[in-house]
Amino acid sequence: MDKLLEILEDLKPGVDFALEDDLIEDGILSSLEIMTLVVELCTEFGIEISPLDIVPENFKSAQAIYALITRIRDED
Amino acid sequence: MAYNSYLYIVVFLGLSLLLYYVTPKRLRWIILLLASYVFYCVSSGGLIVYLLISTVSVYICGLWLGKIIEGYESAKASTPKEERKALSEKVTRRKKLVVFVALLVNFGLLAFLKYFNFFADNINVISKLLNLNIAIRSRRIALPLGISFYTLMAAGYIIDVYRGKCRADRNPCRVALFLSFFPHIVEGPFARYDQLAGQLYEGHAFSYKEFTFGAQLIVWGLFKKIVIADRVNIVVKTVFASPSAYSGLVVLLGVLLFTLQIYAEFSGAMDIVTGSAQMFGISLVKNFERPFFSRTVAEFWRRWHMTLGAWLRDFILYSVSLSKWFVKLSKLIKSRLRSNTGKIVPTLIPLFLVWLFCGLWHGASWKYVLYGMYYYVIMALGMLFEPLFSRLFAALRINREGRPYKALQLVRTLVLVNIGMLIFRAPETKTAFSMLRSIFTGFDPKALTNGTLLKLGMDLQDYFVIGAGGIVMLAVSLLQERGFSLRERIAEKNIAIRWCIYFAAIFAVIIFGAYGAGYNPVDFIYAQF
Repeated sequence: MDKLLEILEDLKPGVDFALEDDLIEDGILSSLEIMTLVVELCTEFGIEISPLDIVPENFKSAQAIYALITRIRDED
Repeated sequence: MAYNSYLYIVVFLGLSLLLYYVTPKRLRWIILLLASYVFYCVSSGGLIVYLLISTVSVYICGLWLGKIIEGYESAKASTPKEERKALSEKVTRRKKLVVFVALLVNFGLLAFLKYFNFFADNINVISKLLNLNIAIRSRRIALPLGISFYTLMAAGYIIDVYRGKCRADRNPCRVALFLSFFPHIVEGPFARYDQLAGQLYEGHAFSYKEFTFGAQLIVWGLFKKIVIADRVNIVVKTVFASPSAYSGLVVLLGVLLFTLQIYAEFSGAMDIVTGSAQMFGISLVKNFERPFFSRTVAEFWRRWHMTLGAWLRDFILYSVSLSKWFVKLSKLIKSRLRSNTGKIVPTLIPLFLVWLFCGLWHGASWKYVLYGMYYYVIMALGMLFEPLFSRLFAALRINREGRPYKALQLVRTLVLVNIGMLIFRAPETKTAFSMLRSIFTGFDPKALTNGTLLKLGMDLQDYFVIGAGGIVMLAVSLLQERGFSLRERIAEKNIAIRWCIYFAAIFAVIIFGAYGAGYNPVDFIYAQF
């Protein structure tokens, strides 16, 4: 989780990602930033994210993103 | 058969609706399929053969994919865990081969029919430069109606089956209906199989609300197309035909009116087709969401031709960004470049392909490539300089969420979008640059008072109609932006008020519509793609 928070803070400085619970609806992460984040997650965590996983529910908070990473790792 | 013609609205749509609702529910899809094929044949004649090739190819490839996926699912259970990865990789390779075949057939046809002459011209230019003895003759190729739309929908279906978003359909009629459905085949919106195919196939019971709401949407679309877009078309055509004959102010007016024209026309067409589908009880996806209230160009493209943006994102951006080779490349780039740039460049590469495709999808010429690249450069610069801007605004204590800044952003987006529209409409790239230059260097306010504006094809009455129509469109957009549903509100009124509003709208189209003597019928711009 710490590594994920680090990536998020690096991507968008000044946002409290541990507390934010709707990064999409609140307009904190744009679609291009999500794409940058997804590529980051693939390279940093060594996972394969499917296009079907790129939905708002999986990116609405740091917890949701972490749950996605965990799920993909478990499936592998 | 244009969507704004009597033939379509009164005869074709009217008859299709009548037949649809008198047919037993379970057979109603047959009426839609027949109507769609009749519509296509009337509009495009024998070129329907290309639509049939696309339909058959994706149907067969879909079944083939489905078989591979089913085979994998049953084999997975009996395969030891350590061998599953190898099996999955083998299956993925086979699935990719099927997708490749389907895309080759569909994009191959599109490339030949739409881009052959463009490629031939460019090869000839290169061959001349390199003194090679290659000359490809241009051909007169008739473009099937809606090929740019149904090809992308066909590709979308196959990739969705590949990804597991939807199952391969065993029913060829459902695939045929999805691709040919007459309200969306000419100009979209791009539908997704899992969202629309089921809706088209199930018979819908008659609903007074859906029927009347659909009809209202058609009238609203006709208002935008016939009253606004077709009226300003005369000025737009005049200015863009010989821009050097006019001062910068007139050129600017021509560009602004073209932006109004294309928005009124394209969003109007979407209202007509969405309304047509709604009258059958079928819901099409939104293609516009008040794009001129966007604060950034990226937001504009999320609200303008939304389904094209979604298609490009899902099938180009994601396909490239999430591929194994690209993730490896991203890792390499990140290790070589500075922190921020290293993070952004892996997004900029697939984004380049997205905008190149977007530009070329609009037309087979370098002008459209420039159109795509123009937006790519704006977005790429925005992403690269965002950290710098953030620091700058923080240092200057400028509130980026404050009203003045938001207003400035709206104006900036409007300016950038209008430059994009200028590139899009100009007959060629060179003309676009000279028109842009004239706006800044040849700006002569005298054109406002010396009667030039009245010599462009519109009289004072026309300008008044455009002004009033523009205000109505703006007012409706503002109400929608605040979450106000106009149609729901009208439906709550008593019958007398309701019908007064309906008749007022219908008569506004009939009285103020730019048709008949003095007006030539104007084809829908996007129907030519």
